[in-house]
Amino acid sequence: MLVFDQLKKDDPQLRFIATVVLSGMLILLCGLWWVQIVSSRHFQKNLQNQSIRTVRIPPLRGKILDRYDRPLADNRPSYNVDLYLEELSKRFQKQYAAEVSLVTNHLHWAMVQKEKELGRKLTAQEKKQFALTRAWRDALQKQSRYLVISNLVDNLSAHLQQPLGLSEKDFESHYQKALAMPMAILPNLNPVQIARFEEQSAAEPGMELEVHSTRYYPNGTVAAHLLGYLVHDSDDEDEPDHKYNYRLPEFVGRTVGIEGLYDKELHGQPGERSVLVNYLGYKQSETVWTPAEPGQDVVLTIDLDIQKAADAALDSVKENVHGAIVVMDVRNGDVLAMASAPTYNPNHFIQHPPQDVWSQEWERWTNQDLEVQMNHAMQGIYAPGSIFKIVVGLAALEINAFDPHTNFHSEGYYMLGNRKIHDTAHVGDFDFDRALAKSSNPYFIDLGLRPGVLQKVVELGQRFHFGEKTGLLPRQEVRGYFPTPKSIHSSEWRWGNTANLSIGQDRVGVTPMQIAVMISAVANGGTVYWPRIVSRIEASDESPAQIFPAGRVRDTLGISGRSLRIVHEAMTADVESPEGTGHAAAVPGMRIAGKTGTAEVEKNGEIDKGSKITWFASFEPVDNPHYAVVCMVVSGASGGLTCAPLAHKVYEAIQESEKKPHLKTGILAESP
Amino acid sequence: MFNAIKNERPSRIDYVQLAAVLCLMLISVAFVFSATTVNDAGSTIAWYKQTYFKQIIWFVIGLGGAGIVCLVDYHTLTRWAIVAYVCSIFFLILVLVPGIGTMVYGARRWIRLAGFQFQPSEFAKLALILALAHFLSRPVDELRQRHIFWKSIGLMVLPFLLIMKEPDLGSALVLIPTGFALIYAAGTPRRYLVQLIVVGGLIGSVFLADVLLAPPKYRVIKLQEYQMKRLLVYFGRDYAAYAGPNVSEAERQRLRERELNDRYNVQQALIAVGSGGMMGQGWRQGQQNALGFLPQAGKHNDFIFSVIAEEKGFIGSVTVLTLYSVILFTGIRIAGQARDRLGKLLAVGVVTLIFSHVFINIGMNIRIMPVTGVPLPLLSYGGCSVIGSLIAIGMLQNVYMYRKAY
Repeated sequence: MLVFDQLKKDDPQLRFIATVVLSGMLILLCGLWWVQIVSSRHFQKNLQNQSIRTVRIPPLRGKILDRYDRPLADNRPSYNVDLYLEELSKRFQKQYAAEVSLVTNHLHWAMVQKEKELGRKLTAQEKKQFALTRAWRDALQKQSRYLVISNLVDNLSAHLQQPLGLSEKDFESHYQKALAMPMAILPNLNPVQIARFEEQSAAEPGMELEVHSTRYYPNGTVAAHLLGYLVHDSDDEDEPDHKYNYRLPEFVGRTVGIEGLYDKELHGQPGERSVLVNYLGYKQSETVWTPAEPGQDVVLTIDLDIQKAADAALDSVKENVHGAIVVMDVRNGDVLAMASAPTYNPNHFIQHPPQDVWSQEWERWTNQDLEVQMNHAMQGIYAPGSIFKIVVGLAALEINAFDPHTNFHSEGYYMLGNRKIHDTAHVGDFDFDRALAKSSNPYFIDLGLRPGVLQKVVELGQRFHFGEKTGLLPRQEVRGYFPTPKSIHSSEWRWGNTANLSIGQDRVGVTPMQIAVMISAVANGGTVYWPRIVSRIEASDESPAQIFPAGRVRDTLGISGRSLRIVHEAMTADVESPEGTGHAAAVPGMRIAGKTGTAEVEKNGEIDKGSKITWFASFEPVDNPHYAVVCMVVSGASGGLTCAPLAHKVYEAIQESEKKPHLKTGILAESP
Repeated sequence: MFNAIKNERPSRIDYVQLAAVLCLMLISVAFVFSATTVNDAGSTIAWYKQTYFKQIIWFVIGLGGAGIVCLVDYHTLTRWAIVAYVCSIFFLILVLVPGIGTMVYGARRWIRLAGFQFQPSEFAKLALILALAHFLSRPVDELRQRHIFWKSIGLMVLPFLLIMKEPDLGSALVLIPTGFALIYAAGTPRRYLVQLIVVGGLIGSVFLADVLLAPPKYRVIKLQEYQMKRLLVYFGRDYAAYAGPNVSEAERQRLRERELNDRYNVQQALIAVGSGGMMGQGWRQGQQNALGFLPQAGKHNDFIFSVIAEEKGFIGSVTVLTLYSVILFTGIRIAGQARDRLGKLLAVGVVTLIFSHVFINIGMNIRIMPVTGVPLPLLSYGGCSVIGSLIAIGMLQNVYMYRKAY
């Protein structure tokens, strides 16, 4: 070797030293090779772990739109004041230095005093009690940080003229857990505050106005049950292996409504941001970006104008009324409006209103008797009452059990054995039209008890799919109940049951949605559709929308045109004839066919006069039916007095809506 | 290559070594710059007050010193060896006097003199080399006498103990291999050394065992707390376990916290070196450096190697190792070519001194040596270390210049 050649052959000491030096250098070389080449992966990972924080960026939530792309749920910018702590770290240090010098001076002074008092120098042991301990330093550091922050917050509070509070605990918790993240000190600034902030904040370091996207329901309480609501999401449950260090605040739909059902589609893909932090944990820079992918928009079959009218109509009955209105396109089963009362404001789950208002809201929300959380259009089971006479009439007509033009004399009650069934209609002679219009109970009980009618009623009911779910909003729906062919032949079935069924009581319980499906089928000539509420889900990019086909046929009634025509005529008379029970629904310029219903609710075996179920089921126009409107109010006076006026309001809105053709330029593929 | 030089007129200076020295100086300035300016705190100071600029000044002064050393024949130089040795011992005692020695991080290592601080231990290393070389350059027969051997050991142990007292374990430790190398190279009978090393090794092991493993009440040797901690970290001992069974839970918790803190620097340096990989993260791009995970106070001096290794990777570390190897082996060659035993011993002394520093410092960065606070010659920032190293190089060149005529 070159080096050794240079050494004198007879100098073993030098050769030994050269060997030692060479092996030393080789050991270092091997060590470096091991650390830098073989295990570099491991150390690079260590490096990442300690200096990179990943932040989950919530995606922009998709919108919920009505059939003409008007927003039912939208996003709006919300302005927050955020504090960037890394820009304040110098201030923290300065404050801390000041505090420390203060304390040290004081300690020194105290020590000198003590020495004077004792008249001698203190021993090292005695001096210790005048030393600044580690714990004390830590406490001072904490105190100085909070002092700096609370001063800033106080200043801000003065500028914005709004009291602000930041507890030491909250701040310290943010400092320990999420130092690299901006700290929100004031959410949701109003425009005046924004202006004030922009005006005054130039001098304040580390404070910035941040724009976040917030869910917003522009129509407030309208369609609240249909839309559902969002809750604050802060858990990592759905994330595989909890891969984020931080997540930004976010809301998700929980279980109910469109927000809940289509949460996955609306939600979008979260993005990821990497924040490089220094050894103190302050943010140094932001590096990698995976932008969040916005959620898809859900387009509903709802017509916002009609929906608003339906909600307003329910609201006009009285405060906290229990009721529902469903408007359906009879030609394909599209739900044009679905309103439920009492309702709530889903905006308040995103941003709580002032405390006193919120506590009242919360009180309403949790009150079992108010049933605010219940979607009465689909989650309530009600006796259909007289509107079920449509089914009984159709069944009897279909099997030719009677002549609709023959008069029937009613005494104003019906004697079933020795039980007297009361009637709201007066004493007199009734043909079918009049019986339906005046809703004569004895007439229909008589029909129901004729041979074969009960079987046909049950068969028809099954074709209408009473007692089955429509599948519209899976977690918001109940089945209701309806007799099966087996049950009417069982020994338990009595005449009384048949009589009660004939006037829509006792063994039948339906939801307003089921009635809407029924009335649509009656109107459209006998096709029972699967109701549809989501027409399509479309991404913001060019990818094809997911389309839910309209007009999926569920069943057909197999009822002759003649029977339907007779029923249509009778229902038209109910609205158009001044003595019809549903006359209050009539709208000039519209030909509406309808049927009122008032079902009595038995409570503890007695008829509860206070909680009648009042109905109005109708369709329009009579000649070429398009809309079905079903109104239901619990504890109304009667179908004619309470519900028909509601339908009247909805029809007025439909009339208005039809006058706005510019909105309806083929955005939604209308089905035949 | 060397043969070619030999055939020509013998050169006055060992240019290969000088080139390696200059390269290291350039690297030093570049990475002291990187280590001190990468944080925004450092960049606000005026350029002439910056650390890297001061390092350039030290290099200029050091080169001047080395030049002066080269002017005089090393024989003349070593005549002053005893004076230099006595002076350095005087300063080593002086630095221990409170009020004269400046207390930094619990150790008195610095003397403030006319506005400058200097570290007597840096010069004591050189003085020891001069004195030992002078003392051992006597006829070989005399070296066979035991009292000569013990006297030379004594020459070495005196500054060692004084530096230990400061305390500065690292600087004291490098004296041991340097001294032994000189005694060995001089031609002292091997058995003396072997006996001493065996006995010394035994004592050392007992010492370590006592310090690390014995229960508190059986501990005879009391080390400074920070030295204790460094040893415990190096040997991976649990602070709490070390403190003994009778400590309270709060105290145990406090010890654990401190243990984490103390492991921190070592761990961060290792992460820096390791994450450099093959090519490194780029000059001034090292995250450990830029984000402040490397010890703030030490990354431009004792931990400069971790900055280089992180930013230039394995390639950078091997370059540094190669440059040191060039200096060391040209040094050994100079020892071989020296005119007489004095020259050879001087060269051996300087080579082992530099080697010990390099081995301990780089070893500390990759965790094969304990953290002892030894600077990396020519690379680490620091006036005394730089000037001392350059004067040592000057002594090597001096021996080369007055070598045997071939």
